[in-house]
Amino acid sequence: MITRPHLRGAAALAAVALAATACGSSQSAASDALRIAGPFEIHSLEPSSDGYFFTRLHVTETLVTADVEGNLVPGLATAWSADEANKIWTFELADGVEFHDGKPMTPENVVAVLQKMAADAASPLADVGVETIRADGSSVVIELSEPNVSVPATLSHYSTGILAPSSYDADGKVEKVIGTGPYEVAEVSLPSRIETVRVADWRGVEPDVEKVSFQAVGRAESRAVMATGGQADVVFGLEPAGRERVESTDGVDMVSALQPRTILMKMNAADPALKDVRVRQAISMALDRESIAEAVLREKDIAATQLLTPTLADWDAELEPLTYDAEQAKALLAEAGWKAGADGTVAKDGKPLTLELLTYPDRPELPALATAIQAELKKVGVQVDVEVTNSSEVPAKHGDGSLQMALVAKSFALISDPLPTVADTFAEGGSDWGTMGWSDPAVDEAVAALMAGAEGEEAAQHRRTIVTTAQEQLPLVPVSWYRMNAAVSDRVEGFQIDALETSWRITDIELAG
Amino acid sequence: MTRLGGVIARRGAQALAVAIGVSALCFVITQRLPGDIAYRIAAGRYGYDMVDADAAASVRDELGLDRPLWQQLGEWVADLLRLDLGRSLVTSQPVLTEVSHYLAATLQLAVLSIVIAVIVGAGIGVVAARRPGGFADRFSSLWVAGVRAVPPFLLGLLLMIVLSAQLGLFPAVGHGDGGIVLPALTLGLSLSGLIARVTRDAVVEVRGSAYVEFALTKGLPERWVLVRHVLRNAAVSLVPYLGVQFVVLIEGVVVVESLFAWDGLGHSLVHAVFWRDIPVLQASALVLALLIVLVNTLVDLAVLGLDPRPRGRAVTA
Amino acid sequence: MSMLMLEQTVGARPVRSSRQARYIAWTRIASLVGLGLIIAFALVGPLVLPDPAAQDLARYLQPPSVADPLGTDDYGRSVASRVAHATRVSLLLAAVCVATALILGCVAGVLSAWFGGWVDALLRSISEAFVAVPALLVVLLVSALAAPGSMVALYVGLALVQWVEFFRVVRARSALVLGSPAVEAAGLLQLGWPHVVRRHLWPALRPLLVTLSSLGMVTSILAMSTLGFVKVGLQPPRAELGLMITESFPFYDAAPWMPLAPVAVLFCLTVCLLGLRSNEEGR
Repeated sequence: MITRPHLRGAAALAAVALAATACGSSQSAASDALRIAGPFEIHSLEPSSDGYFFTRLHVTETLVTADVEGNLVPGLATAWSADEANKIWTFELADGVEFHDGKPMTPENVVAVLQKMAADAASPLADVGVETIRADGSSVVIELSEPNVSVPATLSHYSTGILAPSSYDADGKVEKVIGTGPYEVAEVSLPSRIETVRVADWRGVEPDVEKVSFQAVGRAESRAVMATGGQADVVFGLEPAGRERVESTDGVDMVSALQPRTILMKMNAADPALKDVRVRQAISMALDRESIAEAVLREKDIAATQLLTPTLADWDAELEPLTYDAEQAKALLAEAGWKAGADGTVAKDGKPLTLELLTYPDRPELPALATAIQAELKKVGVQVDVEVTNSSEVPAKHGDGSLQMALVAKSFALISDPLPTVADTFAEGGSDWGTMGWSDPAVDEAVAALMAGAEGEEAAQHRRTIVTTAQEQLPLVPVSWYRMNAAVSDRVEGFQIDALETSWRITDIELAG
Repeated sequence: MTRLGGVIARRGAQALAVAIGVSALCFVITQRLPGDIAYRIAAGRYGYDMVDADAAASVRDELGLDRPLWQQLGEWVADLLRLDLGRSLVTSQPVLTEVSHYLAATLQLAVLSIVIAVIVGAGIGVVAARRPGGFADRFSSLWVAGVRAVPPFLLGLLLMIVLSAQLGLFPAVGHGDGGIVLPALTLGLSLSGLIARVTRDAVVEVRGSAYVEFALTKGLPERWVLVRHVLRNAAVSLVPYLGVQFVVLIEGVVVVESLFAWDGLGHSLVHAVFWRDIPVLQASALVLALLIVLVNTLVDLAVLGLDPRPRGRAVTA
Repeated sequence: MSMLMLEQTVGARPVRSSRQARYIAWTRIASLVGLGLIIAFALVGPLVLPDPAAQDLARYLQPPSVADPLGTDDYGRSVASRVAHATRVSLLLAAVCVATALILGCVAGVLSAWFGGWVDALLRSISEAFVAVPALLVVLLVSALAAPGSMVALYVGLALVQWVEFFRVVRARSALVLGSPAVEAAGLLQLGWPHVVRRHLWPALRPLLVTLSSLGMVTSILAMSTLGFVKVGLQPPRAELGLMITESFPFYDAAPWMPLAPVAVLFCLTVCLLGLRSNEEGR
């Protein structure tokens, strides 16, 4: 019960408590820890779900990894080779590797982990056609049923990070992440926080940063406050408004890199309206990509001119860029039989052209872009209903054929080599996140040849075939590329942004102050 | 003590009925939700870059989602009777540890918010009641209307901008040190308006009553009178009110949790619905519902303790 | 959600002096005028302002001008027009929710008080069950069940959450009225139930219902904006006050007119509705 004297006491107490927590907050933690904040939550400790947190934080390591340019470099494997037919792959393991629980890493440990992943539908290792995985002396041998050139790139994927046997509980689920990297887990609090600490005397190397904390923060405005208020040292994924504020704040700068990720519209080419290539071209021409990118992403120069980002040098084939031409779009629609009706919507045989565009909220720019696309297409008489839903609706509706269009953010570098992803995108008969109801014999042939290990000029020719056909036929309509960004505090030195996000390169960072 | 027994028996029966009702409701509704459960769970587990038909098929196999509905429900009930809430379909963690972690976070936030609300609200109320119609009273009316008219998420955003972005007093998010201050302040201020009003009215009313006047004429110092009579009587109307507020608070928590990245029950409910994580959804809903019953029970008991006058056909919350 | 009843019972202050009475009357008139203006804006605005979904990507974040009295948002859409549409949606939905809750709650409350016994026990236990189920859960589940962007989910969720309030208050007050000597006399005189409802129940319930409805409107509007904030049950390009606030907040320093407009409308709307409350003493 509160009396006035008590009340004063209580108020004073509360004030003291608040002040104490405030003083205890940002300052003390800032001294020795690198504080990272990002938009995505840690849903699970299973490596095939969100294992990338632990590879990026240098807790787990993969057999093969990638440098900042995306070239494959040795990880836990020092060397690798394949037989003539690209069917038997041998990975020589580094020796003297220890898990964080002090036990040495054996080839059998590695085999156990890889076998688990080869049987896990969510790992790319399950898609390379593994027959057997076995230990052979100090190396690991992977035998395939089909030739595959991208096995080393696949083994750079986070799901194949090597965990100690003691990571698993009785049911084979991961209960603790015990890896081999220079940092070990101090605490994980799902779904929002991971704290790691430097491993003492790790292979004779000592990174400068002693402690690292990662905090998942779902709302972009909260992340912007953290970046400008000095409550985090590295903040990933700021939205345009937040970026502008960071740029005008002292002591923190924006760093960015173009990611091999394209925001595109997956078109159902079996749909009565969309099966006409002219309609797909009209939809593409109706998009003023530069204005959309400028208004929604505040970056004019990432408006897509083609499906694959120019950063994927092997795949850059000097294509005729996609352009904006609303008049031409209307003409194409008319040519395809869609005539403007009374209410401005084009119609054919009395049926107006209304299309459903599916997208998902996991990446905040997607619903925003969908809204912009909706308005752009309305100008040429195409009515679009936007449905923001769960990302799994895209493969689900692909499966039952009810999808019309979906706006998705597709990464072409889930592993360090884009080829498997491209092959999957243009798979014969379509794929969940690739083409739908569309096929082209020349493209099918080119994909098969590349997957079988074509090289040199022949491979370049096949790659050209694929991207040129895609540009003309538009089974996927590119909208924009994606630039990954981070706000980095001035006390962080040596921060490098890695377009493939293989790792956050914490070992190269030095903290001032 | 039969009335005490009555309260406990009634609330106990209610708790049981609510538990059964909520569980069955959640189960039936999640099964009826649009979209394929296996796909949704796969999306929750593997993220949008990796969810595809294969992943969904493997989830369906692993969890036996193609078994008949009654069989799945039966298994869940059987597990529940063994006090085994199972594992989250998305995170694979035991539901019990997960939900108790969320519950602890939510309770922490709720309790601190109530404390802030009572300190601020009761303070303003008592001051306002000293001179009804005076300046302080006018200010309190303004305060009450003001905090009622601003939804919590807006208040939270404003506090975040002022206290975190501009002044840098508290961290904007997280469970780290001081991370609780802003969310608790947001909820506490939202609730303080009504508490201020209840306190003010109760104090004014009791002050004007005969026995307080009698006590004053007896020559007791005013402060003691206030403490002994006024507050005890004000508490009679305040306590049931606090109980109700607590329930409202538990619900208001979801917004604030989302804004300040505070992992509590509200947060887990939204995620569980979105991902179709049935075990977590059921456990969260169950815990929330039982929490509400528990708070109501405590309020009933407190009212009995404070105000032992027998009641007629009272309508209690 | 039981806030309403408590607010109602403790919120009404006994009228003490003519000065206070004048002040209260003045407040109500001002509230009515303010509410009238907002309703007019919500009804007329969409007719005269440009299409709220029409984008002009080249003109994003323009400051207020003659053409766009509240400037443009990040897609170059007219903020004034979007606010008008959002207000209309909020008002309509809240009104329909409250009307549904009022009819359900009133009928159930009067029946409960009139018949007592098992009818009362049944209705009470139903309402208790609703109280114990978190409202948030009801709204979330209903909105997940419905098609995305359908307003039906929001409507059903909010109405289900609110009827209990009306039921409890109406039941308590009706029980008092029906137990009064006047009604007993009416019963002896065989005047029949329409007479009792018209002459005794309605006058006693009316001020209560006005208060409860205005509070219910506030609750609905705030709940809607809150759900908009969590992005439940909405589909682009629909404008909704809470969603507008959320979407425009990141631009608070670059384009302050964007968040200010929906915030101001939301605030005025709730303050006016709160001012409408009848000052009849609810004990």
